[in-house]
Amino acid sequence: MSYAYLFKYIIIGDTGVGKSCLLLQFTDKRFQPVHDLTIGVEFGARMINIDGKQIKLQIWDTAGQESFRSITRSYYRGAAGALLVYDITRRDTFNHLTTWLEDARQHSSSNMVIMLIGNKSDLEARRDVKKEEGEAFAREHGLIFMETSAKTAANVEEAFINTAKEIYQKIQEGVFDINNEANGIKLGPQHNTVNPAQPSGDRGQQGGQGCC
Amino acid sequence: MSFFSRVLGGNTPENQQSGADTIAKICDRVQSSTLLDDRRDAVRALKALSKKYRLEVGTQAMDILVNVLETDRSDAEITGYALDTLFNLLSAYIEEDEQNEDLPNGDVRDPEELKLCVQFAEIFIKNPNNIPLVLGLLEDYEFRVRWPAIKLLTTLLSYQASQVQQYVLGSPMGVSKMMDLLSDNREVIRNDGLLLLIQLTKGNANIQKIVAFENAFERLLEIMSEEGGSDGGIVVEDCLLLLINLLKKNSSNQSFFKEGGLILRITPFFNIQKDSSWSAQKVNNVHLMLQVVRILVAPSNPQQATGACQKVIHQCGLLKFLCDVLMASGVPADILTETINTVSEVIRGCRVNQDFFAAVSAPSNPPRPAIVVLLMSMVNEKQPFLLRCAVLYCFQCFLYKNEIGQEQIIATLLPATADVSAVTAGQLLCGGLFSTDPLSNWCASVALAHALKDNPTQKEQLLRVQLATGLGNPPVSLLQQCTNLMAQPSVKFQTRLGLLILLSSWVAHSQLAVSHFLGHPGNVPFLTSQVAEDADEQEVLVQGLCAFLLGICTQFNDNSNKNFTKESLQQIIAKRIGVETFIEKLEAVSKHESYTQAAKKPQLKFDSIDKVLFDYEFTALFKVLEISVIKAIQVGDDSDAKKTVDDHNSIVTQYKDIIRDQDTHLGELKISNEELTREYRKSQSLLVEQSSQIQQLRDQYVLLKAQHGNQTGQGDGAESNEGQTLETTGSSEGSAEHKKQLATLEQSLEDKEKELEELRGRLASTQSADNVDSSAAQNDDSEVTSLKTRLEQQIELAEKYRLQNEEVTSQLQQAGSGNDNSALLAEKAAMSTKMTDLEVRLSKLETDNARLSNENKELSGAKDTMETQLREASAKAANPEIAIALQRVQQERDELTQEVKRLEVEKEGLEGDVKGVRQEMDDLLVLLTETDEKKTIYKQKLEDLNQEVSDNELEVEEGEEEDDDDEDYEGEEEDGQA
Repeated sequence: MSYAYLFKYIIIGDTGVGKSCLLLQFTDKRFQPVHDLTIGVEFGARMINIDGKQIKLQIWDTAGQESFRSITRSYYRGAAGALLVYDITRRDTFNHLTTWLEDARQHSSSNMVIMLIGNKSDLEARRDVKKEEGEAFAREHGLIFMETSAKTAANVEEAFINTAKEIYQKIQEGVFDINNEANGIKLGPQHNTVNPAQPSGDRGQQGGQGCC
Repeated sequence: MSFFSRVLGGNTPENQQSGADTIAKICDRVQSSTLLDDRRDAVRALKALSKKYRLEVGTQAMDILVNVLETDRSDAEITGYALDTLFNLLSAYIEEDEQNEDLPNGDVRDPEELKLCVQFAEIFIKNPNNIPLVLGLLEDYEFRVRWPAIKLLTTLLSYQASQVQQYVLGSPMGVSKMMDLLSDNREVIRNDGLLLLIQLTKGNANIQKIVAFENAFERLLEIMSEEGGSDGGIVVEDCLLLLINLLKKNSSNQSFFKEGGLILRITPFFNIQKDSSWSAQKVNNVHLMLQVVRILVAPSNPQQATGACQKVIHQCGLLKFLCDVLMASGVPADILTETINTVSEVIRGCRVNQDFFAAVSAPSNPPRPAIVVLLMSMVNEKQPFLLRCAVLYCFQCFLYKNEIGQEQIIATLLPATADVSAVTAGQLLCGGLFSTDPLSNWCASVALAHALKDNPTQKEQLLRVQLATGLGNPPVSLLQQCTNLMAQPSVKFQTRLGLLILLSSWVAHSQLAVSHFLGHPGNVPFLTSQVAEDADEQEVLVQGLCAFLLGICTQFNDNSNKNFTKESLQQIIAKRIGVETFIEKLEAVSKHESYTQAAKKPQLKFDSIDKVLFDYEFTALFKVLEISVIKAIQVGDDSDAKKTVDDHNSIVTQYKDIIRDQDTHLGELKISNEELTREYRKSQSLLVEQSSQIQQLRDQYVLLKAQHGNQTGQGDGAESNEGQTLETTGSSEGSAEHKKQLATLEQSLEDKEKELEELRGRLASTQSADNVDSSAAQNDDSEVTSLKTRLEQQIELAEKYRLQNEEVTSQLQQAGSGNDNSALLAEKAAMSTKMTDLEVRLSKLETDNARLSNENKELSGAKDTMETQLREASAKAANPEIAIALQRVQQERDELTQEVKRLEVEKEGLEGDVKGVRQEMDDLLVLLTETDEKKTIYKQKLEDLNQEVSDNELEVEEGEEEDDDDEDYEGEEEDGQA
């Protein structure tokens, strides 16, 4: 359970682009073809490893429907990373990216890492948005880009892990203030020396990992 | 007027009038004054009047106050006054400073005034700008603004939670602003912020999740730690209330709580010191903490989530702490009861936790298992009622999906294993079963039913139990004793229900138990008479359960008892009771209030002792069997029902057979698949091994080649090979060996060449000698001819050798072509080039031989001329000089002849060599064929495994075989020389 860092992610994007499926594939390694509409926000978590460091990802999967937009906005501030997802078989979901991005930029901390994801890459026959278009959009707005398939699990791990790598790199560069939890980053228990009231058992393994 | 006077208490109408006037004036001042100081004073005045003249201030000043909040926001003081005034208008609670009122502090105002408050709140909320406005004021760090804003929002939420919640959700960072209050270093703000969040999170999952997202769990646990944990004050209780709000019925937050490692963080709260005092606050705190744990492992949660939490609760030591509380002394009864309930749900259906619980022992002397100690409380009339119910719940959870636990409990009742000296669960249950306390009877019956649930083995085991009823009387089985007890007129209603629950659970799904039950002739008539009688309301339940038991006896009847076969029971029911009546009685059970209450959830929850009638597990059994029992007792539909049931059974059996067949088939396939996989792995590893061996051998070969290069002077290559071949193994060994032999062959050919050259030299010298003296030419001629024939023979041999060489080369090439292994191929190629080299050498040798024969021809021509010269010379005269010369020539000829002889011997040796080489070639060929064969076999094996075949698995050659060949070769050589 011990981890060096904890990152908070949110997954955003239009309804039906496969946000919940991406999360399910990442946390449970399974695909559920029929998924209920997400109501509000659902939570998922997984541990990953970057540069030999255990990093805990806490992921909030938001509802894509317009009616939940104001709820979704409450999650931007505390997130270190966002996966902005569109569906490569539905151009409208791609066209809405600008709105999503504006929302995200407006409500999040300026350092939030945004990964643009073109999901459903397994449905090549029904493709409506070219990969190049996604790449161009990402380049233009300074995002990382990937095409994934929650169904075949292609690039799903990479999408979550590459985002974490980017955040980790920003930490190394000192961009993030890791002591401000509003950034969506938390030091692991072994770093946490501030609170004396914490139970001391089961903690304090491998201390002395410098903050930056 | 009467309304006003009631509202305003003892004020006279004049006072009211002046009050209303004053308020109107003040309002006017607030609106019209240009100086901030004036406005501020006016709002302060409004605040002062707001409690006494709620109606007037509310109706006249509400909008003005809101306006002040908007326009004069920069001034903390006036904003604070405005907020205070609004709060006073809306708050239904009596504040501490309201000294003039007789009502005690904290009480709600009278209904009329409360109604007014509600109305004002409604008006305030109706304006969509107001809530966001107050939310905005929360951001103001100024205490005079922030604090009343918190209180105002809390009050508003208490009236119209859902509407305010929607506003909060709709305004950006609304929840975040409230969460920030928990980080305020002013305790008042933090504590009132807690109260605000408690109101805010009530019944709104979205807000609960956002609050959790904003690190509420961590923050709350920090505050609780700071405030002293379970020994802390009201703030800890508030934190716990908020925690419960966030977790209850919110699986996302529960998962977040678990994933965040927070179960570990709450564990220390349960580390309650022995003999610690239990203040009312502490009781509240611990009670709420237990609620938090129970929310995480509630039986109504998804099994997966509950299971995961149960695991963590055990791993982080929380379960141990809970068990410590369970066994500690001086714990208040309600805490103990709730702890038992909590432990129950933590262990329910989780084997590891159940096993842990089974091993817990009480600190008594001698130490007893916790289960036994708890059961003692259950069957003890003096213990609190709720505690006894909790123990039964704990027992139920302990045995839920726990066959081993069931077996252990039943084992304490069995004659063979029962330990007489110690108090056991079985003894306690039996004691409870036959005690005079109806609740003990009921609890013990239901507890025993849990020990038998879904466990046919234990149902049959328990049939063995015999009870001694008194001196001289024969022992009676436990099953019969239960029935007998039920028939006694003095027995209480609750006891009878308990016993019927036990009997129904016991004999259901067990034909053996049914036949035991029917074995006593009095049982069926007793049940029939019970059902047939008219009865009061309570008796309806007993009748229903008696009918149920009868039905079970019919349904699970194996017809072993001739008096009570399935059919005879059906007839008895039809004749004595009537099918309609039977069904009616049965249905009365599920319609009963206690039944529906018990069926709601596993935990036993009863308002009073006399409501204890059913338990959850029995209602589940009843639900399942009700329909099938009704079907089983129908006489009219007997044949049909039986038929359909039989059909059904046969179909089920058929499918079962099919499934079984498929299962075995699947098992076989699995096994064979495993075998194949294993073989495949083995083959693969072998392949890898072999390829590595080939690599090794190639290295060795290079090494050997180098060594061989050093050994060029050595004549007998075979001997030196002997030592080396022992070291070399594998498929390339033959090749290496072959190559070495070829090298040797080359060597000997070179020797031969040299000898031939020598011979040529000698022939040349002979020629010159012949030039000098031609008298010996005649002899010479014949010798030359023989030499020629020898040479020709040699050429022939060389040709043969060449052919064989070619053959071997082609064989090698063939072997090489079938071999995918590049290393081996390369070696073969190298070898074939060697062969070609050899061929070239042979052809050179041939040409040499041809040249030699040419020379010989020339020589013979020269001899002819010499002959003629000699003839001429002899014709001329016998010249002494010539005679001498002739003699010399003859001598020389003799020498030459000797030389030729020696050459002959050497040639023979050479021939032997060639033979040997041929022999070796043959051996090599045999080896190659063998290798090929083995390869083919291997290939076949792999093909059987559906495996792509790489042809590099040539079988390992034995060094000894090579040695034998070498020896043969040597022996032959010797023979040839001899």
